[in-house]
Amino acid sequence: MKSKTSSFLLKVPSAAWVILLMMIVCTVFSDKYLTLGNIVNIIQQNAVLLIVALGATLVLLSEGIDLSLGSVLTLSGVNCVIVMLYLSKLGASNGLAMILGVLAGLLTGALMGALTGGLIAIGKLPPFIASLGTMGIGAALALVFTDSSAIYIDNPVYVFFGQKLDRFIHLSLLQYFSMPTFIAIVIFAIVWVILYHTSFGRYIIAIGGNEAGARLSGINTVYWKWMIYVLAGVLAAIGGIVLAARLQAADSSVGVGMEFDAIAAAILGGTSFVKGKGGIAGTILGVLVIGITRNGLNVVGIPSLWRPAITGSIIILAIVFEVVYSQWRERSK
Amino acid sequence: MDGSILISARNISKSFPGVRALDKVNLELRVGETHILLGENGAGKSTLIKILSGAYAPDEGEVYIDGQKVTDFNPGVAQRMGVSTIYQEFNLIPYMDVAQNIFIGRFPKKHGLIDHKKMHADAAEILNSLNMKVDTRSLIVDLGVAQQQMVEVAKALSIKSKMLIMDEPTSSLSERETEQLFATIHKLNSQGIGIIYISHRLQELQEVGDRVTVLRDGQFIACKAVNEVTVDDLVSMMVGHSVDEMFRRDYQPRGAEFLRVENLNGGKRLQNISINLHSGEIVGLSGLVGSGRTELARAIFGVDKYESGKIWLFGKEISDHSASIMVEKGVSLIPEDRKNQGLALILPVAENIVVASLGHLFPKFFVSKNKENEIAMKYVTELRIATPSTTRLTQYLSGGSQQKVVLAKWLCTKAKIFIFDEPTRGIDVGAKAEIHGFMNELVKEGAAVLMISSELPEIIGMSDRVYVMRSGKIVTELPHTEATQERIIEFAMGADEIKKNRKQAEMAKESSK
Amino acid sequence: MSTENLSLKKLVPHSDAPWMSSIGRFVALIFVMILMTFLTRSPDQGFVFLNIDNLLNVVRNASILIIIGIGETIVLTAKDVDLSIGSIISLTGVVAAIMMNKMGLSIPVAILSGLIIGALLGLVNGLLITFVGLPPFIATYGMLWVLFGFAYLILQGAVVYGFPEAFRFMGNGRLFGIPMPIIVMAIVFVAAYLLLNHTTLGRRFFAAGANPEAAKMSGIKVNQTVIIAYVISGFLSALAGLVLIAYSNGADNIFGSSYLLPVMAVVVMGGTSLAGGQGSLTGTLIAALIMATINNGMNILAVPGTWQKLVVGTMIIGAVLLDLWIRKRK
Repeated sequence: MKSKTSSFLLKVPSAAWVILLMMIVCTVFSDKYLTLGNIVNIIQQNAVLLIVALGATLVLLSEGIDLSLGSVLTLSGVNCVIVMLYLSKLGASNGLAMILGVLAGLLTGALMGALTGGLIAIGKLPPFIASLGTMGIGAALALVFTDSSAIYIDNPVYVFFGQKLDRFIHLSLLQYFSMPTFIAIVIFAIVWVILYHTSFGRYIIAIGGNEAGARLSGINTVYWKWMIYVLAGVLAAIGGIVLAARLQAADSSVGVGMEFDAIAAAILGGTSFVKGKGGIAGTILGVLVIGITRNGLNVVGIPSLWRPAITGSIIILAIVFEVVYSQWRERSK
Repeated sequence: MDGSILISARNISKSFPGVRALDKVNLELRVGETHILLGENGAGKSTLIKILSGAYAPDEGEVYIDGQKVTDFNPGVAQRMGVSTIYQEFNLIPYMDVAQNIFIGRFPKKHGLIDHKKMHADAAEILNSLNMKVDTRSLIVDLGVAQQQMVEVAKALSIKSKMLIMDEPTSSLSERETEQLFATIHKLNSQGIGIIYISHRLQELQEVGDRVTVLRDGQFIACKAVNEVTVDDLVSMMVGHSVDEMFRRDYQPRGAEFLRVENLNGGKRLQNISINLHSGEIVGLSGLVGSGRTELARAIFGVDKYESGKIWLFGKEISDHSASIMVEKGVSLIPEDRKNQGLALILPVAENIVVASLGHLFPKFFVSKNKENEIAMKYVTELRIATPSTTRLTQYLSGGSQQKVVLAKWLCTKAKIFIFDEPTRGIDVGAKAEIHGFMNELVKEGAAVLMISSELPEIIGMSDRVYVMRSGKIVTELPHTEATQERIIEFAMGADEIKKNRKQAEMAKESSK
Repeated sequence: MSTENLSLKKLVPHSDAPWMSSIGRFVALIFVMILMTFLTRSPDQGFVFLNIDNLLNVVRNASILIIIGIGETIVLTAKDVDLSIGSIISLTGVVAAIMMNKMGLSIPVAILSGLIIGALLGLVNGLLITFVGLPPFIATYGMLWVLFGFAYLILQGAVVYGFPEAFRFMGNGRLFGIPMPIIVMAIVFVAAYLLLNHTTLGRRFFAAGANPEAAKMSGIKVNQTVIIAYVISGFLSALAGLVLIAYSNGADNIFGSSYLLPVMAVVVMGGTSLAGGQGSLTGTLIAALIMATINNGMNILAVPGTWQKLVVGTMIIGAVLLDLWIRKRK
């Protein structure tokens, strides 16, 4: 009996404990916390983060890192909106404009990912510097394209993808569901299939776990490593498109810092930065930690001046806790 | 007759800067045989294997597979032609399960997605044929070394390899796991699969080998059937020249006790180790690969922690233990892996030489480059290090010179205790003799030397006393008058063990026929 | 050829390989300066670039980059990257600003506090990396966000401006006609050069960065050495922050954020290896001058700020690619 519970406890990522702790603290401080509405709120607000964090998780599994995801998200949203507005001005229908705009956004993500991945896989640059460079380029391009201001859009077909579902289908159950959440679930399922049921997904783990060994086993590690970053870029782009739909605007400042949240979410979910250990299931927990932190500070009534500092500190502490906890776990095996 | 030869290498020569690794070497593997490749460290075994598996191209000579000469050879082509190689560092992915590792790159698919069911079923089938009871869903990280090795064998079988090359497969295995491996090898042989088996463990020949090829210093010495040679014949083939010629030690009376270790337990293996070391003596530490010698050296030096035991340095028990403390007190460790653990290759020679002595060479914090280069030059001349200047980056030096730089580093610290781990591995004969000369000088001037070596002639020729380790324990201490190759090997492998295993091997061969 | 070597030996970093690239970089600097001179030639004002005030401007702007870059060079030599430099600049600048203006503390106290805080933040970075074992890019990137958060908190959304004259001297004043930031930079450069290339601590930085395992086995306390490197980086970032607020006479919570990319670009262009064990302070200096020259040229030509950012991002990538290509050819 003792070994069963302790072996179960060993498998639970530290994020679960952190979530539990925070929820208890928040409930103590505010009776508005543990409501269904609030919980749903948390999920809805972090749907976009989950999508980007999935990309960050895949990159981390391959022993890499991508600091450009935040600016890719921003740039993709910006390009999508700009293309849509331009086409609408030319007289295209809302639907057509939206489709082409979305394609433009996805293409942006793919291209930026290809640039980052190319520098890393083919150019053999250290991932952090390559992605730092492309982050700069992406952020700069976003500023240039938006002329440093926000661009608003009200294409109803497009905006649909950012809203709560109950606006369109009148089922009260659906008030808990928003399109971003729905999209996030679908994307999660797709990435799950890719990671666990396709060769590409297995190659991600192989490259992260033993790149030399993978190459000697006949895998084209250069090509597949490149593709990982392309996929991460596309995921960030999807996030950016959905976010712009929700905000009904493209803004060059939205994605700033999101790559840190995404990477933190992956780490807190138990994905290690070496050896290909971890997976995307944990990333949901990681996203929840971050989401609960931000939401918690809000609900409990911490003044907004304090929030960035406290949020950042909590996230770092959670990461330290996770690293120490997983080392402890290794030793007690 | 030709149809029964799987792979054959003829007149293979290969050189690297400063070293001729192979010189007109031949090797031939027949269907269903286990062919042992025997030789001391640096004999050229690894190089030959890399050529056979397509990782290196030979400078001269040809490789024939199934009677066809191979051109445009690389690891991918080798695999397709049926050659699988299992190196000491496995090519396995730690956080993927057994079945995925076996079928990596060749996953069975259904509708474009991986067919997990079929993959696990096929994997289980192969593992069963090897009498392996391993859950195909276990992650590689959770398996022991022996099981991981079996996964590599299963992988080779899954691509229908006709021959397997195994590089020192038993170095990390327990005795029972070794026996299981041998049983597997016999089974594979009976299926017609040929195995090239690198080893320097003489005992294993009797159990698995059909024929043995001996290499020495890159030369092909002989290829014989296992039942036509004795252990002594093999030893003399491996070693070559008589012991007296190579090393001349000036034995001298020993001085005060410099180092004493009592009841050291630590790491995965070390059990109850007690040794001592005196000024003026060279103590050899012998044993098979994996017996724990390097672990012991690292534990003494303070790099690895140990669980219990006491260490006395110059008569005083040490309470605080770490590498930096030991260095300060005058202990040095010249590691086995000199490139990765002994040198910073991208730094100049001079800096590598002074790095361990910064405190006492430059007590006032400031470093004068002139003084640094002067001091380095002193050692470069004294040790005859082949470098145009002391500012040359260390990566451009030859292996022998690099080893001398490591030695210079420790001489510079004015250390009194030197622990050498495989001091002349992979070094040409000339430099070898020089290093032995230096060791001689060191103890003449009052230092104490602990020398780990897998080369028996070196151990016998250089040591005042020899400790033999086996499975993490010190099994005997021999004065140099009693240290012969036979006695050392006997203790390294356990004399009674040889007899028992010989009996079992005979029985196994009988039953698998 | 050999006599040239002797006289140029002063510019040479400690090992024989990169000396050629120092010369190369110097040549590149001259080339860029000539290029800018002609590009910015205006019909009525002539060679605007060569105006003495403009040149001093260039060097002064480069000085900030150099001060931070020196810290980054040292950290990269000993271990790995420090991405938190921008936030240390901001936070220490903000703290010093508040101390002088809102808390009425004396200038020396404010300066000292700023420097100490910078050093302590560097210590935190070092501890996260050595004792917790976080990869440097994650540890320092995380600190970046936390520290910007604290800077925001302390300033309470406001901007502080208007510092005492004596303090502003550090940014605005001149000694013997040379702007103070340049003088500060020169002092820091000389001290750092001596430290890195002519002290036992500097040797330990190189050993720890080139091969931490071998360094440990040579008796060097690697963790301690790495922590010291991060402390120095934090300290120098703080110093840069103080000079910056002295010069601009104001502080907001993100004024340091635009420095991360340029500093990384400059350090890499200067030949410091991202893998550890090879650091060139001279290279960083020259590369910073190159970047400041290019920035200055772009300003004169009124290139919009956002395009300038694009140039910087591209420069990092170009510099690293070039550096890798050169290393491969050796």
